[in-house]
Amino acid sequence: MQRYYSVGSNMAATDETSALLRSFECEQNLLSRPDGSANVRQGDTSVLAAVYGPGEVKMSEEIIDKATLKVIFKPKIGLPGCAEKLQERLLRNTCESVVLAVLHPRSGVNIVLQVIQDSGSLLSCCINAACMALVDSAVPMKCLVSAVTCAVMEEGRIVLDPDSKQEKESSAVLTFAFDSRENNVVTCSTKGCYTPEKYQECLSACGAASRNISSFFRQAVERRMSKEL
Amino acid sequence: MADSVGKVVIPGDILSEFRASEKTSKVALGPGLRQEGEEVLVTKGGILRHKEPNLYWIDCHQRRYIPAKGEDVIGIVTVKSGDVYRVDIGATQPATLSYLAFEGATKRNRPNVKVGDLVFAKLLVANKDMEPELVCIDSGGHSSGYGVIPADGGFMVHTSLNLVRKILSPNCDILKFLGKNVPFETAVGMNGRIWVKAKTPKDTIVVANAIASSEHMTNAQIRTMIRQLLDKLSGF
Amino acid sequence: MKEVPMSTCEREFILKAIRDRKRIDGRQTYDYRRLKVSFGMERGCCIVDLGDTKVLAQVSGKIEEPKKNRPTEGSIIINLELSPMASPAFEPGRPTESGIEMNRILERNIRDSRAVDTESLCIVAGEKVWSIRADVHVLNDEGNIMDAASIAAITALSHFRRPDVSVMGEEVTVHSPEDRDPVPLSVHHMPVCVTFAFFDQGEFLLVDPNRSEERVMDGRMVVGMNMHREICTLMMSGGMLLVKEQVLRCSQIATVKVAEIIELIQRALDKDAQARQAGEKCGFAESVPTNKITTNRKEATAIDTTAAAQQASQVIQEAGPVDKPMSNMLVQAPGTVQIGEGLVNTWDVDDEDMESEEKEGREKSVTNGREAVATSKPTERKRPVKAGEGTVSHAEGSDSEEEETVMLFQGDDETKSTEEPDSTALMQPSNSDKPAKKKGKKKKAAQK
Repeated sequence: MQRYYSVGSNMAATDETSALLRSFECEQNLLSRPDGSANVRQGDTSVLAAVYGPGEVKMSEEIIDKATLKVIFKPKIGLPGCAEKLQERLLRNTCESVVLAVLHPRSGVNIVLQVIQDSGSLLSCCINAACMALVDSAVPMKCLVSAVTCAVMEEGRIVLDPDSKQEKESSAVLTFAFDSRENNVVTCSTKGCYTPEKYQECLSACGAASRNISSFFRQAVERRMSKEL
Repeated sequence: MADSVGKVVIPGDILSEFRASEKTSKVALGPGLRQEGEEVLVTKGGILRHKEPNLYWIDCHQRRYIPAKGEDVIGIVTVKSGDVYRVDIGATQPATLSYLAFEGATKRNRPNVKVGDLVFAKLLVANKDMEPELVCIDSGGHSSGYGVIPADGGFMVHTSLNLVRKILSPNCDILKFLGKNVPFETAVGMNGRIWVKAKTPKDTIVVANAIASSEHMTNAQIRTMIRQLLDKLSGF
Repeated sequence: MKEVPMSTCEREFILKAIRDRKRIDGRQTYDYRRLKVSFGMERGCCIVDLGDTKVLAQVSGKIEEPKKNRPTEGSIIINLELSPMASPAFEPGRPTESGIEMNRILERNIRDSRAVDTESLCIVAGEKVWSIRADVHVLNDEGNIMDAASIAAITALSHFRRPDVSVMGEEVTVHSPEDRDPVPLSVHHMPVCVTFAFFDQGEFLLVDPNRSEERVMDGRMVVGMNMHREICTLMMSGGMLLVKEQVLRCSQIATVKVAEIIELIQRALDKDAQARQAGEKCGFAESVPTNKITTNRKEATAIDTTAAAQQASQVIQEAGPVDKPMSNMLVQAPGTVQIGEGLVNTWDVDDEDMESEEKEGREKSVTNGREAVATSKPTERKRPVKAGEGTVSHAEGSDSEEEETVMLFQGDDETKSTEEPDSTALMQPSNSDKPAKKKGKKKKAAQK
């Protein structure tokens, strides 16, 4: 069975059997008010994330033995609705699995995400931005989390890190988040129909790509610290 | 382990082969490191530091203060309640400061502390499950520098915790170099608050801005920055 | 989360410096902080940086039915979002009082001054008009959100292009950008807000207050003005009284500032238009310096996924074939279909048995269950009967169990009496556990 792999938005195909991640860019500590902030750009998709905490928390939201994690997702246009609430929940679950909340009981960690530009793979960009902002804020974490989106096209080929046009043309869009330590799946969110075989294929393709992103995260921290080495 | 010291680590990294103290055969893990079974897990992204004989910690760019016992902090008195003051030190909870924790204070002779005052104090109690508690005296009952910071002409800057550690480290010569040119008084709180007071408000502003902008600078860059500032000072 | 309180020390120092005509950040009285306008990839998207204050604006349009009293006018909605990203004091959801006030100033400044022509937004009178919405998100609050938001809103509105629309009789077609060039909104003039902060009952004033100055000010005045020196809004708040001259002075300063700001906006718009025409890459990414220590960039990278397909098929092979679900639908009664044994207790454990924690009893029930499962597999129809059998057999089991306990009890007693017929001591260290056991059993018996 022959398989095709596509390339990112405006890049030329280099090899038929390789998929491309769009250019990946990250800026940390760009906002002065939050305790940690990061802007992650994957191709044209751009998300700004800010972290406040561990700080004071409302009495009603206080958890006696761990920190309360709150994710606020801000769409660019209009007021947040049901879809945004779902997104918030997904992101909160992802972050909760990597943040060591037990180290700061009775406190609150707020993660605010603002969409700057949505050109596909928004969810994975949000997770990556939240992760970088958490690293910047130095909230204790078990490990990092890196997310990759892939799209299954009508004819069956898999596109890594699809742009919005590719997402629209695809029959299914799958997003996986992996932890940086053992490359286990932390979160999986899918939309559309696909076969179990395709799922497995997407999973291992995204797994390979996530390692690339994890190493990028390390580079970003290394660069940030380079003057103090 | 020895090869990781001074290198950048990120959350999720596993470290081993720590050098234990010869006397107690123990390893002391500071902020950013956590024991998980037999391994040591890194929980913050930063540089692994080591101090002889057995102290390890992670240096990172943090802004939020996590109280640690024995650290000197600058707090803002927010409430007077009962026989304690509530003091904001930038942690998750306000810290308490007893009326009696000042030099020479007795039940009758209460210290003159008003809401909004700055206090330079030491953390007596600090752990994740309890309210932090401050004192303005040392174990001998003397003030030894702690107490209310007078509000006449000083200014406070809020900075990152990393900058505070950087300023206090013997390798950084910003305070020395700045002090040679502009004499000033300073109190540095580990919670990212630096109080400065020079002869004139103008000098105070210069010193405060010089300190606040030195976060991402090397020693050489700091020197040039200060020289430029001083040049401008004559015209400012 | 609460904002860090301000100490009297800071407050007094700032006031003292202002009285000495000095500002903490080294600016002069009438200086603005560094103003930067950058555009996003989409039309109608811009970020305004005023010092460290950061505001994002996005304009969008949709077709709606017009208001009954104004059938030929489109609508303009301005929404200022004080995002919790900007400050720990901002809560998500309901807007604060100051948020509503600022939103209202923005509306008055842009919509009520008729800066954007609403009549040209009409498509079919009384039926279809464009509704233009400007979302202004505050991303970082370091003071003077008002000016930054007003600059962002008007810049985004001028940058926005709506799709072209043509009307052919009854039919309205919205053309895609490829089909026909989108059209800009007709912006008559560009009103911009300039904020003044007052100290010492209006004696001292500052332009563009930063956050610490905002916290110590007595009151403020916002002047919304356009290039033609027309005041579009004027708002004064805070409990202070100003002398007439001070207001006039402010409006004069505002004219100068507005001219500077609008020139900058215009330049930014022109530059962006040129870049777009030349087909260059535009967007925020292009305006961020990449040589900063806090930024890191990675070019598009190829991921070797040749192994992916192989791994996938391997995983699936290892997992083995998926069991095809048996079609075990049951028609219990006409009109109902049942899958599985939802109504019948399939564990073959009845309540009586659950109560007894007797070891033998449990073993028995397990074996009973096993039998039931084994027999139930071949045919589904017999299931209810089977279950009945199970319970019957079970009842027997529990009966016998009771007997057993009784026997054990008796036996125990007997052995005791035979073993130690002449001993007066009731408790013996050797079989001290026996009486305890007995007690437990007695209890169970009593329960039954």
